[in-house]
Amino acid sequence: MQPKNLMKKLLAIHFLLFCAFLARSADVSIPIEKYKLKNGLRVILSKDNAVPVVTVYIIYDVGARSEEKGRTGFAHLFEHMMFQGSANAPKGTHDAAVESNGGTLNGSTHPDYTDYFEILPSNKLATALWLESDRMRSLAINEENLKNQKEAVKQERRLSFDNQPYATAIVDVWPTLMFRNWQNSHSLIGSFEDLNASTVDDVARFFKSHYAPDNAALVIVGDIQIPDARKLIETYFGDIEAQPLPKRPDLAEPAGFEAHTQVYKDPLARGPALIVGYPGPKRRSQDYYALHMIDAILTGGDSSRFRMNLVKGKQSVIQYEAELGWPFASALDYRDPEPYAMFLLYNPKFTADQVVAQVQDEIAKLQTAPLDAKELERVKTLVRAGVVRDLQGSLSRARALAQYELADGNAALINTELDAALSVTAGQIQAAAKKYLTPDRRAVLQIVPAPKPQASPDANNPDEKKPAEKKEGR
Amino acid sequence: MFQGSLAVIALTAAGLAAQTVDRTKEPHTPPIPGYKLPPVADTRLPNGLGVVLVQDGRFPLVTARLNFQAGTKFDPKDLPGLAEAVAALLTEGTKTRTARQLSEEIDALGGSLSGRTGPDALTVSGSALAENLTRLLELMADVSMNATFPRDEVDLYKQNRIQNLQQQRSQPSFLASQKFSEVVFGGSPYAHIAPTEEAVGKLDLKVLAGFRDTHLVPNQATLILVGKLPAREELMKMLVQQFGSWQQKPIPAAPQTEPPAPRRQIVLVDRPGSVQADIHVGRLAPIRTGPEYFPLMVGNTILGGGGNSRMFKNIREKEGFAYDAHSTYNTQRDAAVFEAVTEVRNEVVEPALKAVLAELDQMASEPVAASELSNIKNYVSGLYLLRLETQEGVATQLNNMNTLGLPKDYLETYTTRVRSVEPDQVLAVAKKYMAPGQAAIVVVGDASKIGEALKKFGDVTIAKAN
Repeated sequence: MQPKNLMKKLLAIHFLLFCAFLARSADVSIPIEKYKLKNGLRVILSKDNAVPVVTVYIIYDVGARSEEKGRTGFAHLFEHMMFQGSANAPKGTHDAAVESNGGTLNGSTHPDYTDYFEILPSNKLATALWLESDRMRSLAINEENLKNQKEAVKQERRLSFDNQPYATAIVDVWPTLMFRNWQNSHSLIGSFEDLNASTVDDVARFFKSHYAPDNAALVIVGDIQIPDARKLIETYFGDIEAQPLPKRPDLAEPAGFEAHTQVYKDPLARGPALIVGYPGPKRRSQDYYALHMIDAILTGGDSSRFRMNLVKGKQSVIQYEAELGWPFASALDYRDPEPYAMFLLYNPKFTADQVVAQVQDEIAKLQTAPLDAKELERVKTLVRAGVVRDLQGSLSRARALAQYELADGNAALINTELDAALSVTAGQIQAAAKKYLTPDRRAVLQIVPAPKPQASPDANNPDEKKPAEKKEGR
Repeated sequence: MFQGSLAVIALTAAGLAAQTVDRTKEPHTPPIPGYKLPPVADTRLPNGLGVVLVQDGRFPLVTARLNFQAGTKFDPKDLPGLAEAVAALLTEGTKTRTARQLSEEIDALGGSLSGRTGPDALTVSGSALAENLTRLLELMADVSMNATFPRDEVDLYKQNRIQNLQQQRSQPSFLASQKFSEVVFGGSPYAHIAPTEEAVGKLDLKVLAGFRDTHLVPNQATLILVGKLPAREELMKMLVQQFGSWQQKPIPAAPQTEPPAPRRQIVLVDRPGSVQADIHVGRLAPIRTGPEYFPLMVGNTILGGGGNSRMFKNIREKEGFAYDAHSTYNTQRDAAVFEAVTEVRNEVVEPALKAVLAELDQMASEPVAASELSNIKNYVSGLYLLRLETQEGVATQLNNMNTLGLPKDYLETYTTRVRSVEPDQVLAVAKKYMAPGQAAIVVVGDASKIGEALKKFGDVTIAKAN
């Protein structure tokens, strides 16, 4: 009797301690080996020999926000060019070499960075390094490839944007509401006019200054042996020449953001939708963590406030998505300046103003009283589990390491950032809601289904002003 | 000491010095590493519930699937969308928990819980931090056995599903998939890929609970658990505690309606204002358990799977007709479909469709080259490895095996079977299933802009977009 009880007690204590520890961290430690080549290429290696798979991930410190007037869509067009061959791996070699070895690959263009990756069976590490180094060293920039990729990008625009409900509003219109600095508000996918005007010289110049080793980081995660990997990296990348770092564009937004509302008629939409956004805090500031938690309270998980109160309670909202940096970024790749923004598909029985007011009411609840401890604990558990889940795949681990390295100069944040996110208090949440999420610093885009889809699909969309998009590669 | 350090530095420098390398050639690399799946334990509770366990302790998580043979093919003819509604509403209230309680409890486990249907199976998917496994199992058992389908939740589901259906119908890709499925499957229960507004309107407690009571029974269900699991004995005790009281029932027979014989027909779904045309070309194909599966799967990958495929290289890269050009071979338990798909701008509908048909003819008339075949085999085998990186990936594979009724050694023998495919086998199945003679052609686009171009390929039936 006695020993049994004691055992039980000990177990209980052990269990409590275990939980307390887990509550503070991911209970996973990602090993990191970080160094720099002579040419400035940052290298991050993370070994995990559980499954014979390796991810090779290169991030370049350039995105659509670096584009110049008259060259919108250029970063994305250039990303396409990166799949058109290089001196020793002519067009088609890259895809063939990766896929024929059982791997998968892609690239994507974002406002502040462009990334490329290969996921391969781990015996093919050298193949991925050969391919990535060859195009960093000697991309095939010529008239034929450029012409062909202009067409591919235009078709991507037709397919993924011009022919999809809500896409034009999100991609072309919304950034002009959120930002006033042209660097931030112009189109990531670009206008057909600008794409057509791009020349081979433009491409060559862009390549030389932005795709140099000192403007990039190489991240390798998975089934590797560190000494072998280091040797291969030196072999393939060591002698690529560094370049003077490109001048960084000024992304600062003018002071004095003013609340405003705009209406967009969407000929392809069947139901009304809303985009609501607020200029956000600086990356990794205390308010950033607080807003990240606010986003989880409002929209994360099954028991989120939006789901419980708007989708189910008032039955006004049908679908929603929200994020720090929406629509082009997430909390992880959020760079300044970014908004906290959301997209809501809503029930046409309600007006746009009513739904905006309901959203603002949900925020007001966070502003007037501190969050109840039980709900805060639940939301933190949700956030913690989400982070652990994202660490599982080698690609998502590589992405996180690359973001922390490029944005913060510190890949090791992958092991501590969760602690920072979970240290937010109810008081900080309330303060951030009051400071950032007020009606006087709110932009609203109402998307109204246009009555006649027969109308020219371009009626809304005269010529230029086509702001940023997210991702999509090749 | 000082000297020693220098020596180390010198050694390191030598070790890291760039080796001379022939950049003009792809590097020589070791052969693809062998990988043995973590052991899959297979057992059964006394009430017939199948149990599949995979221990994977790399991350403090568990991932679960509860698989029922209760997919959308079991929908009554007048109620398309019933199975999917049951799946969605299982988590909206039980005898002892309101919808809100369920949501809050699962979030507090750092987890997720949801029901989904495919054509063959209804799957309750769950996940949690590993320390919360017991409570996850309790919730999964509760929603599977005790769902109450509360009136207000059912009404809300109906309202949102109808809205969502309208939203889906605004997408050309959805319209194309829907029409293609109707054309190829005819009167088969696989023909519908979505409910109708009318059917959603008819959903109520009686039909929902009726479906649940008939189809969600333990003796045709399988519980799959992947992750950081407790010791076997303790885990089995947990499972008996949560699922042991569940009563066996007779298993309903699967509906059997043969799809119609494939035949050439051209159907144009008119979508005024469309700036592009979505083109689908395809027909019925053999199911996964037959001997033709691996050759056709490999052939399909050669034709239109990924960036190294013929359709991608020719229709997208060389001709620049399309951003997307691919083919799929999609197998259900009792029927399967092969189709080539591309979305092109209105002006090039004719040459693009010609190009797709030419690719199909080519597959059906000439054997694939040995090097192309070997590349694709490596691709398929490698993708298989890549899918097993995460718990979700492993659980999804095991769940699919259950859904499709695949043999237990399927994953283990997968790579070997891919590698044994020969060029003449690919040619034989391509002649039977890829040759476009009996293929249906379904196009979604603006009839006033692309109708004439399509007529050059034969008689065109024009359908309305709903």
